Amino acid sequence: MTPDPAAVLSIRNLSKLYKDFIALDRINLDVRRGEKVVVLGPSGSGKSTLIRCLNRIEPHDSGSLHINGQAITARTDLIRLRALVGLVFQNYNLFPHLSVLDNCTLAPRLVRRMPRAQAEALAMRFLQQVNIAGQARKYPIQLSGGQQQRVAIARALCMQPEIMLFDEPTAALDPEAVSGVATIMNDLAAQGITMLCVTHEMRFARHVADLIVFMDQGRIMEITPPEQFFTNPQTQRAQDFLNQMIG
Amino acid sequence: MTPVMARLRCLRAMRIVVVGLAAMLAGAGMARADAQPPLPGFIHDSALTVCTNPTLPPMTFVNGTDMQAVDGIDMDLAHALAAYWHVTLAVTTMDFTGLFPSLAAGRCGVVASGIIELPQRERNFDAVAYQDTALVIVARAGTRPLSSMADLSGRKVAVQAGTSYSARLAQENEALVATGHAPMLIAQYPTEEEVVQQVLIGRAFALASQDVELAYRREQLHGKVGVIFTPPYPEYRHFALYIRKNAQDRALLEQAIATLRENGQMAAIEKKWAITSDAAQALGASAPASAFRWSTFFGALTSAAFMRGAFITLAVAVLSHLTAIALSIPLALVLNGRDSMLRTGIKLYVALFRGAPTLLQLLFIWNALPQFLPFFREAWFTPFLATWLALSINESAYQVEINRAALTAIDPAQALAGNALGLSRGQVYRHVIFPQALRIALPPTINAFITLLKTTSLASVISVQELLAVTQIQVARTFEFTEYYAAALVYYLAMVFFFLLVQKRVERRFAWADQYRAGTHDS
Repeated sequence: MTPDPAAVLSIRNLSKLYKDFIALDRINLDVRRGEKVVVLGPSGSGKSTLIRCLNRIEPHDSGSLHINGQAITARTDLIRLRALVGLVFQNYNLFPHLSVLDNCTLAPRLVRRMPRAQAEALAMRFLQQVNIAGQARKYPIQLSGGQQQRVAIARALCMQPEIMLFDEPTAALDPEAVSGVATIMNDLAAQGITMLCVTHEMRFARHVADLIVFMDQGRIMEITPPEQFFTNPQTQRAQDFLNQMIG
Repeated sequence: MTPVMARLRCLRAMRIVVVGLAAMLAGAGMARADAQPPLPGFIHDSALTVCTNPTLPPMTFVNGTDMQAVDGIDMDLAHALAAYWHVTLAVTTMDFTGLFPSLAAGRCGVVASGIIELPQRERNFDAVAYQDTALVIVARAGTRPLSSMADLSGRKVAVQAGTSYSARLAQENEALVATGHAPMLIAQYPTEEEVVQQVLIGRAFALASQDVELAYRREQLHGKVGVIFTPPYPEYRHFALYIRKNAQDRALLEQAIATLRENGQMAAIEKKWAITSDAAQALGASAPASAFRWSTFFGALTSAAFMRGAFITLAVAVLSHLTAIALSIPLALVLNGRDSMLRTGIKLYVALFRGAPTLLQLLFIWNALPQFLPFFREAWFTPFLATWLALSINESAYQVEINRAALTAIDPAQALAGNALGLSRGQVYRHVIFPQALRIALPPTINAFITLLKTTSLASVISVQELLAVTQIQVARTFEFTEYYAAALVYYLAMVFFFLLVQKRVERRFAWADQYRAGTHDS
């Protein structure tokens, strides 16, 4: 199988092992520019591992991964790759010793060698977009979980990536905060950025996703549009999962 | 570097003085220079190097507040010998226990430090006698004189560590035990004035010392002590200069002393330092009791000697700790990494230097290292450098553990977040991990530094004139324990409080870690 030339992201037979445990088992997936993909599946199904392989925070063991037609291997310039692919973590992982603004400007200044004033202007634009510009001078410890996650999204956006990866961005948040973060993700999706999102946020999956990828035991069980997935899943495993999530 | 430079400058200044003195003596016709006498092998580059522990007046001591100005019979003799050979004189002061190792290591040509001529010492070194003396047993004034050494049975006797007195008293003890008596309790103290102090405060019944010293001390002691017995030891009769074993050098040194005796120079020195017992009695009568002398205390506090001592203490501590931190960061990173040969090596390094006593490490680097690495015998390897080296290595072993703990405390997700943003490994450490680890490492690091600041006092053993060495030398000169100790305490406390203040100021910058204080940080 060759990579799809129209796909911004093309995954072929991608596998990842942790010693004897098969975390990812021959994954195949193509994502087109602007597409929103939501990855669903029970805990331990390999969703997060898949997301992390895409910007090589976790290197894969076999198979191939192409981004913008370029193969991602051990020889890839990781700094350029990561400028292309942003990642938002479940636990935000903000830098506690830096203010909100400095969290956002650190990477543009160090990696893109942007002057401080320009980096701060850029950061303020994205902080406004996530409705947190008023807290720019505060430290992460002074913010609520939802606020911190919004800062983390702004921080990733400051590198102006073409693809945004979200690794359960709302899993650590209380329900009220979830809707704030989900709103921002809706906005981002509307702006046309390519998104891959691991989430349990079913409303987001149903209304925003172009494609649902359902995973179990390191394998992709089905790739379907959300309407079909939620109303008529193809596998029994997906059916069980949905019953548990909704029931 | 500054103290080293200052030291060098002082030595140079001292040499110039010596040259002038030599010229003066020659001008006075005392050397009657018919021909240049042949030079012994221990003179290098036209310089006679003498090691001494200046805490034994009147033989060798610091007679004033200038720590570089060693005075006494031994020093006058050293000057006369340098003039006799037409060479310059360089004097190095150090702890008594360091004298013979330094002589063996070739750091000095001659040891002149009021040391008794003894057959045991002559097994390893050559001795040349220059001054008659006798061993005396001294106790507080009013103590009834002894009729024999057996009267000391069961009593506590203080002696200076590193001297031969304790061995001689041990011999006496064997005789006591053999005849069914209780032995003497021999207590050893590092300096002669501490020995005397034990008798003055009544902790020891008597002390063993030399009559020459005691005659001089009586002035300082205001007649508070007296000789209670002079044991008939034939071997304790002479002070001697010590050199490395060399028959020819020994003959030349004997010749030199004989010449000084013939031309009256020895007699002049003896006369200069001899103190009659009448004079001592007169002083004793006018002596004030043991009240705290504020003038001595403030004098010490504002003296150049104490300031210089405190500066050296601070310089040794700061330089050593900075070096230790620089060493320990890469070491900690390797220790926190994967298993490797290097990691095992560093574990051994940490175990070795945390395990061995700091004093032992210092003595090893100063005295033992030059024996198998001649490189360290050269003049550039000063006591200051040796201390810097020893304390840096020692401290780095402790600092590694502090750094390792601080690095381990940082959530690995922080590095992951940095990587995900495209930061390089170096940038992640520099901008993400180190600033957070610093907050955790700072309090134990300042703690370790304060400990190090006080550990520097060990350097007095290898002749670094740091604060405690200065204090002890001043005490040896004046016997005013309380005043000089108090002055040293003030200096140490001032330095420690300063660094605690620095810690507080730096910690204020870590407000980001505190939810309540973070808000006030940037307003």
